[in-house]
Amino acid sequence: MTATATKPSVNATGMMAPTGLERVEGRSDEMLLNLGPQHPATHGVLRVLMGVDGERVTRAIPHIGYLHRNHEKLDEVRTYPMCIPYTDRMDYVSGMQNELPLCLALEEMLGVEVPERAKYIRTILFELSRIASHLVWIGTYMLDLGAITPFLYAFRDREMILDIIEKTAGARLLPNYFTFGGVRRDHHPRMLEEITEFLNWLETKLHEYEALTIDAPVFQARTVGVGILDPQVALNHGVTGPNLRGSGIPWDLRKDDPYDAYPYLDFEVCVEYGLDAYSRSRARFREFFESIKIIRQAIAQCPKSGPYLPKLPRLKPAAGMERYRAVEISRGHLGIHLIADGSEKPYRSKHRSPSFCTLQALPDMFVGSKFSDAIAILGSIDIVLGEVDR
Amino acid sequence: MSAPVAKNAIKQSKRDLETANALFKVNAEARLPLERIAAPTDRHYRMRMAHQGLLNANPRKSGVLNAVIGYAALFGAAHIVLILAFQVIPALLTNGLPFPWTGFGLERNSFWFNVIYGVLSPVLAFLFVAVVALINILMLRKYLAKVQNRYGPLHNGPSGSLQTVYDALKLVSKEDYTPKMVEETIFTLAPVLVFVSAFVLMAVIPFAPGWFFANVEAGAVFIIAAGTLGSYGVLLAGWSMNNKFGLMGGMRAAAQLVSYEVPLSISLLSVCVYAGSMNLTQIVNAQSQIWFALPLFIPFVIYLIAGLAEIKMTPFDLPEAESELVAGFNTEYGGMRFGFFFVAEFAELYLLPAVLAIFFLGGWHMLPLPETWVANLLGREIQLYPFGNVHLLGYKELFVYGVDGSIWRNIFYSFWFLVKGALGVYFYMWIRATLPRFRDDQLMELCWKGLIPLALVGLMLAAFSKLVPAIGTILSVLVGGAFLVLVIRGALFPTSKTASSNVGSSSSKPSSEVHS
Repeated sequence: MTATATKPSVNATGMMAPTGLERVEGRSDEMLLNLGPQHPATHGVLRVLMGVDGERVTRAIPHIGYLHRNHEKLDEVRTYPMCIPYTDRMDYVSGMQNELPLCLALEEMLGVEVPERAKYIRTILFELSRIASHLVWIGTYMLDLGAITPFLYAFRDREMILDIIEKTAGARLLPNYFTFGGVRRDHHPRMLEEITEFLNWLETKLHEYEALTIDAPVFQARTVGVGILDPQVALNHGVTGPNLRGSGIPWDLRKDDPYDAYPYLDFEVCVEYGLDAYSRSRARFREFFESIKIIRQAIAQCPKSGPYLPKLPRLKPAAGMERYRAVEISRGHLGIHLIADGSEKPYRSKHRSPSFCTLQALPDMFVGSKFSDAIAILGSIDIVLGEVDR
Repeated sequence: MSAPVAKNAIKQSKRDLETANALFKVNAEARLPLERIAAPTDRHYRMRMAHQGLLNANPRKSGVLNAVIGYAALFGAAHIVLILAFQVIPALLTNGLPFPWTGFGLERNSFWFNVIYGVLSPVLAFLFVAVVALINILMLRKYLAKVQNRYGPLHNGPSGSLQTVYDALKLVSKEDYTPKMVEETIFTLAPVLVFVSAFVLMAVIPFAPGWFFANVEAGAVFIIAAGTLGSYGVLLAGWSMNNKFGLMGGMRAAAQLVSYEVPLSISLLSVCVYAGSMNLTQIVNAQSQIWFALPLFIPFVIYLIAGLAEIKMTPFDLPEAESELVAGFNTEYGGMRFGFFFVAEFAELYLLPAVLAIFFLGGWHMLPLPETWVANLLGREIQLYPFGNVHLLGYKELFVYGVDGSIWRNIFYSFWFLVKGALGVYFYMWIRATLPRFRDDQLMELCWKGLIPLALVGLMLAAFSKLVPAIGTILSVLVGGAFLVLVIRGALFPTSKTASSNVGSSSSKPSSEVHS
């Protein structure tokens, strides 16, 4: 750290030189290590260029863009309904959640009233996707920490959620189900009962997972005090979601800027004050129980019959209209900024993705930690590279 | 010009239509009713349903039957190799065969006997390891799969029994590839070194009285020394491959193996102190009265934990931590070179519980029931066997039959020895399926601050127990049990959130200034 003190900080170094490969003078013991883009723990195609001194991380520069698919530009040459399937491909672990900001933004631009039943269906599936996404997180995180079994347990349960989504939406991972004004078709006749059955099953299993994962002594030894993310730093970088709530800031768009059926539901925002990987994990794990609570209430309140899709006006917002709408997906605030030019295609659509912002805080958490800690930190912030690169 | 073409085209299309109609009719008749298509006939669909608890997990066979068949094959094959190695071949070399031609007529332990048997014994040892490995790896994979809600090998051979064979064939048939930029001599030598260090332990393992390849006087020291050799192989492998992950893996392995040698050696030496011998056969014989796991409970616990670190297994699998170092010290190895590491790993996995059984669990003795035992408890004599000096069933040892020194008796002895080894392997696999991985500093902390001081206490208690058996045993169990409870409850590590909660306070990190 003494050598870097005279040099610009890690982030500044990364900005000046795209590769970051230059060596620091007087630091012959630093080894430059490429973590990724093909590495078991990078959750996709992230590349982190790290300087390691023995086991100690001295520098870290995340390099992104290996999965860039140009979604924002593609939106400009497609009509609004054609944009929805592209949003699925951003955060492919919880595909259904990504469709919502686009739908909400356009609905608000056109002044479409969403039927109450559609609101509840959306909320139920939105939270179910959150559970699926968090299950993937706990599984892969434990895999990062060296435990293989929780991964298989988590994927067994996620499989059940995907089956429920498949029966309703027709697709498992990229459902393309939410649409402007509601949902694309009515849900599967037994969906609500199946979800209730699944939640009963999951609730019994979650205590087992808790003992295997966040309550396990080795897990706590690996995560407590590791990867401190200061709340001010987190806010500066735009970190949101459980990562921000793990740093003690209770910012949750479901409460603070509610949409769909969330205003009618009673739940609490899971905040932890430890600032470390363990707090982030704990904040995420508690959301399992909150999501179960939300879904149970939504199922009870959901109207048994009624329209799920209103009669829509022509999907042509007036020229110059613009709208930014963000929702709280599993990883934080996923926002979309739509600008209309009077045609049936958006003039500009800008995605604000949570993992992209979270990744900016990575060097702050990495530098000074052990190499093993770096993996534990990378797992704890739960990034999806499809959404980082878009 | 175009009219006939058009006519032909119309004719052709009519014919196509007829064919299509005919085909469609056939298909319509052959088509299954909708409910039969929707029924879960597809195998993978069944599996998915089974995961959800909607179907019986394995509809074809009961797992218990497979397990019984598997264990029968495992112990049967192992015993055939053992009898071949320790009875048939020595008999062939000497005049021991029950035929008119009674063998080569060499004196036992004569020069030529030793030369020929010495050349043959590595082959026989490898045969034993191979046979045990082939069956036991399958059983372990099935066991791990059961823990993890999977099926394990299914498709090759009945119940996937040929999977290990295919895996071995795959490794052998792969290209023997040496990457550029590696230190070639060491790169080639390292896997062999690792393999040999694990494999050479087979030489001194006594399976039953008289069933060993070499009766080394200082067998305990041999085991410690041979184990240490492996850390050289791992370190050299990591260093020679010119790969950064490999280098880090090699360094981690060197630090870990060298550190954990210390408590491991001390715990084995405690046994030597208590048994009064370093010869493995004599150590086992000393346990005919009581398993050493009881009076030497601390060394036993330490061996359980440090042994895990010695074979680089979860939670101490840092040298090859997949999610951190890709594959650690064997990153650049492929084909049979990797196979050497793999076989060495399995041999270690099997030999570690075997050594554990020899030193702590009575070796080949079935149960720690002494022939005659009058316990002296607080000055009162207690007769353990109310019907005099007769064992259960009237035999000298429980579940061991036959005359002393006969093949029949040795088969029973080695059977119990193998059972103990197998149970140990399952114990380690259970840990592997459950625990995450430690960090390197926690690993070192556990060794230097936890295990080594405790091992020294254990050594002192072992010496004390030799003088005053009853009090020493009680002390040992108390201290060791307390330690075990502490480990299990995680009291050595932070269990509560200790990170300070300074929410709202502004950061003083230099990196945040860039963005604020």
